[in-house]
Formats: sequence, structure tokens, C-alpha cells
Amino acid sequence: MKGQEWYQADAVAEEYDAKRFSKGGRLIDRREKEAVLNALGPVEGDDVLEIACGTGRFTALLAERGADIVGLDISEAMLAQGREKARRAGVGERIEFIRGDAARLPFPDDHFDTVFAMRFFHLAETPAKFLAEMARVSKRTVFFDTFNDGSLRVLYNWALPMGSHLYSRGDVERLVRDAGLGLAEEAHDFVFPYGFYREIPNAVADPIRDVDTTIGDNPVGRRLASVSYWTAEV
Amino acid sequence: MKESLLDIICCPLDKHDLELTVEERDEEDGEIVEGLLVCTDCGEEYPIEEGIPNLLPPDMRE
Repeated sequence: MKGQEWYQADAVAEEYDAKRFSKGGRLIDRREKEAVLNALGPVEGDDVLEIACGTGRFTALLAERGADIVGLDISEAMLAQGREKARRAGVGERIEFIRGDAARLPFPDDHFDTVFAMRFFHLAETPAKFLAEMARVSKRTVFFDTFNDGSLRVLYNWALPMGSHLYSRGDVERLVRDAGLGLAEEAHDFVFPYGFYREIPNAVADPIRDVDTTIGDNPVGRRLASVSYWTAEV
Repeated sequence: MKESLLDIICCPLDKHDLELTVEERDEEDGEIVEGLLVCTDCGEEYPIEEGIPNLLPPDMRE
């Protein structure tokens, strides 16, 4: 099954959060939320667009912090879950969910303060097109993450249900430049890749995560990191 | 979808404004549950289904 079909299946959407973010996965969830909040800074009153918002993990988080946020995704099933969740959480007022194509966004130029995409570029077949479109509709910040070439992720990448695109530093620099953006900040993490954390119970995940962040804190570890977070400016 | 979203969204193909036709509103919060968005330039139609506007370009809809 191709990534796009896999991702849009109803059953995948229903189990998505439970499967990805239980057990060691909750450490990933925590780190990703921290990465988004760090990159975006205070969002009160900002207009924010999330590309590939899925079931709205970050959408709701940012709405709670006062952002006016639009979540865009290709999957009807994921969006339905997101909308339901947002309404239950009482943040529906600040959120809109839209079904759309990330390569042809239904927004005018320079509309949003920040545009971001998490866990998107590893599934993107035409990343240059997507990043250029994110840059077009942002007037300030564009934030995204990548899975890295040359990390342990290479070891299990082939076994994933959806094809996963790994990036080198040069790839990202080129993408950012070609989109007319400038790289402002970066962070690198997870010497042990996500797939590993998802398989291990909480009790083991915590100490391993400690080792991971210790290794990841030196230059060699940074090179081995499987995930990078990139903040670019218009 | 809230009616105010109309100030932001445009046709994904030519970026022109969209015209809204409401078919059903949520009785409590007034959100648009079912409706239609039509591009004022190219005439392409985009449905609103279960509160979510489908702005996928026509070649990507199933």
C-alpha cells in the first residue's frame, strides 16, 4: 500500500494516536510538542497554519495557547477525528480544519504568521513544491522536521508500511534556499529512532531516553540523530 | 466551518475568492455543516461536508 493510501484509511486514522503515542511513543509526543512550542514561541493572537495536521495533536495544543489555527490535511478520516477532538476539548472556536492539497494551498500569499508541518516531509514525494507553497503563504516563520539520512533510522526504514524519505543536511539547506527562505534555527534529536521507542514499555523508555539525550548532546551524537527540527524565516 | 473562514480561504487553483452557499448549520454554534463553495472566477465547486470544507483540487478528489 502506498503511503498516501495507508494514511487515509479509516482504520489507520482511528488507531493512529493510540498506536503511535502510547508506550515509549509518549516520549516522542512530548519532544515533538516541545519542538513546536520552542520554534513558534508565544502564539497568542498569531495566525498559524499546520500542514498535514492529521488528528490535530499540535493544532489543539496551539489553540489552547491562543493561536488562531487552521489545520490542513489530505485525509477526511483524520480531519473528522481532529474536529471531534477539538470540539470536545473546547478549543473549536480557534480551530478550522480543511481538506486540501499541500502543493496547492487554498490561501493567499503571506497570510499566516507561521506555517509548520510535523512528520510530513518524510512522506513527501515532491518536497520542494511543498516547502515553496508553505513559504508562499507565510509572512514570517516556516517550521518542519525531517528524518535523517545517516542515522539508525536507515536500519528499519525499509520495513515501514509507507515509503519514508530520509534527508541529508545538504538536502534541507537546498530545499530551504530554493523556497526563498533562510535557515534560522535547528535542533537534532533521537539517536534511537521513533520505531524503537514505540516498541518498548514506559519503564524502559525513560532510562533509554536519558542515554539518548546524553549521546545526542555531543557533536558525534548530533550527526547520528534520526530527527531534525528546522526553523526557517521568510 | 465558521463563516469567518471565508475571509481566508480561496480557490486552490487560481486563488480567487469563493462564494458560499449554506445547506445546513449547526443549531448550537451556527457553524456550517453542509454547503458549497464556488470559485468566483473559474466556477470550480468545493463541497463542505460534516463541517469540513474539501478544497482538494478536482484531480485529487476520489
